[in-house]
Amino acid sequence: MALLEVRNLKTTFKTEDGIVAAVNGLSFAVEPGSTLGIVGESGSGKSVTSLSIMRLLATNGRIESGEVLFKGEDLLLKSEAEMRKIRGRDIAMIFQDPMTSLNPVLTIGEQIAEATRLHLGLSNRDAMAKAVDMLRLVRIPAPEKRLKDYPHQFSGGMRQRVMIAMALSCDPAVLIADEPTTALDVTIQAQIIELMNEMQARLGSAIVLITHDLGVVAETCENVLVMYGGNMVEYGTARQIFDAPKMPYTMGLLESLPRLDQAGSRLVPIEGQPPNLLRMPPGCAFEPRCRYRMPICKEPVSLYDFGSGHLARCFLYDQRAEGQKTIPAENATLLPGTAVAPPQDARR
Amino acid sequence: MSQAPDLVVVRDLRKYFPITAGILQRHVADVKAVDGIDFEIRAGETLGLVGESGSGKTTAGRVILRLADATGGSVTFDGRELIGLGRGELRPLRKEMQIIFQDPYASLNPRMTVGSIIREPLEIHNIAHGAAAEERVQELLRLVGLQPQHANRYPHEFSGGQRQRVGVARALAVGPKFIVADEPVSALDVSIQAQVINLLQDLQQQFGLTYLFIAHDLSVVRHISNRVAVMYVGKIVEIADRDRLYDNPLHPYTQALLSAIPIPDPDTVRRRKRIILSGDIPSPVNPPSGCRFHTRCPVAFARCSVEVPAFIEFEPGHRAACHWVEEHGGKAPDLSAAPAIVA
Repeated sequence: MALLEVRNLKTTFKTEDGIVAAVNGLSFAVEPGSTLGIVGESGSGKSVTSLSIMRLLATNGRIESGEVLFKGEDLLLKSEAEMRKIRGRDIAMIFQDPMTSLNPVLTIGEQIAEATRLHLGLSNRDAMAKAVDMLRLVRIPAPEKRLKDYPHQFSGGMRQRVMIAMALSCDPAVLIADEPTTALDVTIQAQIIELMNEMQARLGSAIVLITHDLGVVAETCENVLVMYGGNMVEYGTARQIFDAPKMPYTMGLLESLPRLDQAGSRLVPIEGQPPNLLRMPPGCAFEPRCRYRMPICKEPVSLYDFGSGHLARCFLYDQRAEGQKTIPAENATLLPGTAVAPPQDARR
Repeated sequence: MSQAPDLVVVRDLRKYFPITAGILQRHVADVKAVDGIDFEIRAGETLGLVGESGSGKTTAGRVILRLADATGGSVTFDGRELIGLGRGELRPLRKEMQIIFQDPYASLNPRMTVGSIIREPLEIHNIAHGAAAEERVQELLRLVGLQPQHANRYPHEFSGGQRQRVGVARALAVGPKFIVADEPVSALDVSIQAQVINLLQDLQQQFGLTYLFIAHDLSVVRHISNRVAVMYVGKIVEIADRDRLYDNPLHPYTQALLSAIPIPDPDTVRRRKRIILSGDIPSPVNPPSGCRFHTRCPVAFARCSVEVPAFIEFEPGHRAACHWVEEHGGKAPDLSAAPAIVA
């Protein structure tokens, strides 16, 4: 059994312009000790996925349907009181911006100790001792002294380490890291990535790493889920995704990156603009920008299985598209029940 | 390659921001954002300026364009000294030098149509008015890959990538020779980044533009630049031709910076050796003595904390400021062997 499994998750937001399906029928699973990277551009639904798992959506957000199974139990059926015990204890989260996610008027010692006092029932003194241990673990120099400092006395990289210390203080089974290094400089990012890899080896937590940076994914993740327009468009091991991408969007993403190891050649951008979630095309969300698009792509598209866990949402691999295919593509197994179309109520 | 003449020459350029305290606003210290930098930008080339946040790269770009006043030093543009020129004297030169900003959301006036945003510089500089200006706007929009009818729309109706194209069109409107592009693609999604990078390269070819390309993304900088300068806490630590800098970095900071870039290829990741620097970037208010990198440098020795290293040319066109490299006859230190210092 997977440690964390999301099944057919659909999250919508009520906006002035209508209802937006930010996540539309997403399913995936995470095993203990592994790292899953969720990649996608702004608006692809990756952050909404993590907030839905934690049940931390803004008030205009709603989980319409689906299941979030943690150790087999559906988190969407838990009461708010039960969720509060799970958040931080079993599933912890690291946010992108460490400045806005730390309380500016509490010392960082108090903030780290709060979690262990609440969740593990530690005494004040034990919780503070644990906080020192955690700060030492994330390599904050002079942790006994820094415990009494406030967030503004730390640099960006240090604050992010404090966030990691806090998130890991209760030994969570799952760590969700939403763009944990995006706000940081590369030399600091390298420190944080190394730290997260080390922590995982030590604690055996499962990590869900949400990022737009394919380089970070290649450095940390075993499995990769690519999102576009609110849904999974490709899933596989990092090797499968980087060496043999199947979905034209994934191919385009990899080609549009300037590569240090292949400098000079002209970049191949993905033409067009990211989709407007209020006006999603009826079929494949990527169809308007896809260089291999076919007439059939205007229909709802299913996931196709390439064996050994590699999935892609693309008609290129459907035998019904024979004769329309613009590049040679093998036929893969269609996974029934995975077709998604934009909800009708999204258009007004 | 025959060397093009220098279009921009920067000498010992400094920019300090005063820190004041108390009710009397007493001057207590300075943020030495740019503290004595030297480089040249050749006509028609792209010089990449990289560095982490707080390294002073944005300030350097702004001072070169005289969008901020220098504390000292010299900037010549096409042979003319810019530092010390008055507003009136600068105005005709502003046509020659333009800037593209990082944030396409914040750098376009939300109350103006895209057409009037692009037309404004044409009128200010007396380049075109009325129907001629209208025509030029249409031409510029086409040039940057937008539709002529987009002129009547407002910035909020565009996506990030399209807005950055508007920013490019505005910069091009006055027919500049030199453009400072300050993180022009870092706010954009990857798939859109490539569109804007290609656009900038096409325009450079078409109009023979010279770019100072400021960025923290080293892969983007390698892609677009002819030469690259690396900044660290207000100083340039190394400058060289692109390939030489990336393939044979001399300065330990450049080496660490390059090794820290995540490479989107699981196989390369496993092969390469990584240099993880300890500690944080020092504050430019009270920068470390001697070489500013000595607090994080794996090969620092006694001299480094005392003496500021000179910016020495070790190979033709390849300059670096490092005592270790100097004492080893221009050899780069092997950092993978050096013990990491603990913060």
